[in-house]
Amino acid sequence: MRITKRAAAAVGVLAIASSALISMPSQAANPSLLIWVDSPRLPGAKEYAKIMKGKVDVKVELHSQGDLLAKVQLFNRVKKGWPDVVFGPPNDVAVLRNPIIGNAREISTLLKAQEIKNFGKLNDWCKGSDGKYYCVKNDMAQSVLWYDTALFAEFGYTVPTKMSELFAIGADLAAKHPGYSLGALSDAAAYSSYFWPSQCPLNNELSATRVLINSKSPKCTRVTAALQPLIDKGVFYPGSAFSPEYIKIAQEGKLVAHIGPSWFGEFVLRPASSFNIPTGRLTAAPMPMWEGETVNYSGEWGGGIYTISPHAKFPRAALDFALFMVGDKRNVVDVVNPDKSTGAPTFPAYIPGNKLWKAKIDADTYYKASPYAAMAAQAGKVWTGVKPVRYDADGAWGAAFAPEMAKSKDIQKALDAYATYTSNLAQQLGYEVTTKK
Amino acid sequence: MSKPRGYKQRNLLMMTMLAPYIFLLIVFGILPLFMAVLEVPKISIANPDGGWDAFKIVLQDFRFPTALKNVLGFMAYFVPMMIIIVIAMALMLDVKTNKWSKYLRLAYIVPASISGAVAVLVWWAIFEPTISPIKSVLHFFGINSARQIWQTENLVYLIAIMTFFSMAGNWILIQYGSLQSISTEIIEAARVDGCSAFQLAFRIKLPLIRKYIIYMAVLVFAGGLQIFVEPQLLNTGVYTGIASSWSFDQLSYELAFKSGDFGGASALSIILLVPSLIGALVVIFKTDMFDDKTIRDKKSSDKADL
Repeated sequence: MRITKRAAAAVGVLAIASSALISMPSQAANPSLLIWVDSPRLPGAKEYAKIMKGKVDVKVELHSQGDLLAKVQLFNRVKKGWPDVVFGPPNDVAVLRNPIIGNAREISTLLKAQEIKNFGKLNDWCKGSDGKYYCVKNDMAQSVLWYDTALFAEFGYTVPTKMSELFAIGADLAAKHPGYSLGALSDAAAYSSYFWPSQCPLNNELSATRVLINSKSPKCTRVTAALQPLIDKGVFYPGSAFSPEYIKIAQEGKLVAHIGPSWFGEFVLRPASSFNIPTGRLTAAPMPMWEGETVNYSGEWGGGIYTISPHAKFPRAALDFALFMVGDKRNVVDVVNPDKSTGAPTFPAYIPGNKLWKAKIDADTYYKASPYAAMAAQAGKVWTGVKPVRYDADGAWGAAFAPEMAKSKDIQKALDAYATYTSNLAQQLGYEVTTKK
Repeated sequence: MSKPRGYKQRNLLMMTMLAPYIFLLIVFGILPLFMAVLEVPKISIANPDGGWDAFKIVLQDFRFPTALKNVLGFMAYFVPMMIIIVIAMALMLDVKTNKWSKYLRLAYIVPASISGAVAVLVWWAIFEPTISPIKSVLHFFGINSARQIWQTENLVYLIAIMTFFSMAGNWILIQYGSLQSISTEIIEAARVDGCSAFQLAFRIKLPLIRKYIIYMAVLVFAGGLQIFVEPQLLNTGVYTGIASSWSFDQLSYELAFKSGDFGGASALSIILLVPSLIGALVVIFKTDMFDDKTIRDKKSSDKADL
């Protein structure tokens, strides 16, 4: 019994000591900020913490993009712990705005008029149907046509401005240069490069409770009809661009062109561990236009956002961080990344930051010609029919489209599988799914 | 009948030995179960009105039938494969012990030290024709692309193979141990009566370790039902999307952490508890594994031997 008494006493002492620790008054007079970013944004966030030392107490935490929803719900339970500002995938804004989750505050009232102007159209993704902004877009992931200038010259191709011209190149490759490729079509690549720019209605949120999903629309079937023969002939690869098999094709110098997001150059085409395309060959051209259209739209693959928690005590300080990331030279151009490269790796969605970034990419001798002009031309042309939705529309490309592509290599069937999967998901999360506007 | 001397001490000793288990059972078993039950009726995006409809919503989830099909398909291969091969290997190991036996035992335990997570990477490399150590074998069978192997409908076999290799080694040693518990007198007597090695294995040894086999079957069944690591890693780290919500546990995880539906995830976990609980009850009441009587009989016969 004596032992138990002693143990109880010890527990009591510990409890008192720990509660004393917790109740010690905070001495900080500065605003404090808890920031969550992924690894490509980490150097910039750390730089910000350094710059703000003495003015704002910045704490930076690395977190994976996928776990925010779960964490926020747990924080909601215990009513504490929310990060003030978070970098996440673009769809997060719809999920976080849901009242049950409630972790994306409206920021229009925080933004100065000049700042809103500085975004131009580049922050339209974050604008709700009420005309207010709910996030800050970090970067544009607009699709452009990446191509190998050396192979184009060797095979005598001119840069396509129409989709039919691109597919004609594909047919020519199949006939005269078998083994050469125009890209990989799994993951979200088929979506951001072809279906979205073609205005194929998937994930088109019409209102908070209605979403348009129709894989049989002519805007979708024209894509599948054009791509299928080229998939069959091996010009388009029916798997992921990140698979060892496709990386091998690209590393052997067989990649002629690839419609891909603006970050494709720095993250996929260039790195030695990835496609490793040699210096002085690559550049980007604007998107080819679909027949019968007047605008050569882009799609987006990624293009992350910063959301600010309604629980943030210093929301303007949180917003200042987001604006630093997209608009300040110290991040956009100067910050040193772990691979010794400098500056933000992706196309900033904020005009002043974007101008700084232009100088950086123009000066880069890796590219045959600067891809900036094509990126800039497409940045304002992302088709806006696609909206943030409350279900995991991006994950569904892996869950439904990719497995069917691997199995049957039938792209229409794979798209139908995607539409069925997302329709089910959408209904489960309270949407009415419609196939007509 | 008066209580024997030392009863109190023995009781205290028993409680002391039980206490850590009881503590863990409460903290990681019973408490979470109660929390799960309380969680089910809470409001979530999928169940905006709250209430016990969460069970119905989960059972009607479009991913539920697929997960059911996958898990049952996987177990149809995995469970028999485990039991037959493990027992066969243990019996062979037990036939005649010689100086190689200990090395063989070691050889069995090595694959078991490769946990599920690592096994995924090992098998990914084996079945990836660009880097595989058995490249030429794969090419011989016309497999030039990993996509020919890694397809959603092949996962029942692939995951059964992966899980088998990471779990079999341990069980072979456990069943080898159970064979060691058979009295040498019985084996000797059988040999003297002219039993062949096969007869010895099937007529004598197997019936004597029957309860251990049932015990193993139930644990393997419960483990198979809760398959998570292998498909989840494949899905998130290797071939994105190949095994999305492939198993029940993955669906539960998906509900909680992708759709933010903790209520639905809890409901599914409670549903999953039912077959495992039935399995456990079968072991306790329908086999003599935990039978007091056999233990008492054994004790009294031990005493009689003395």
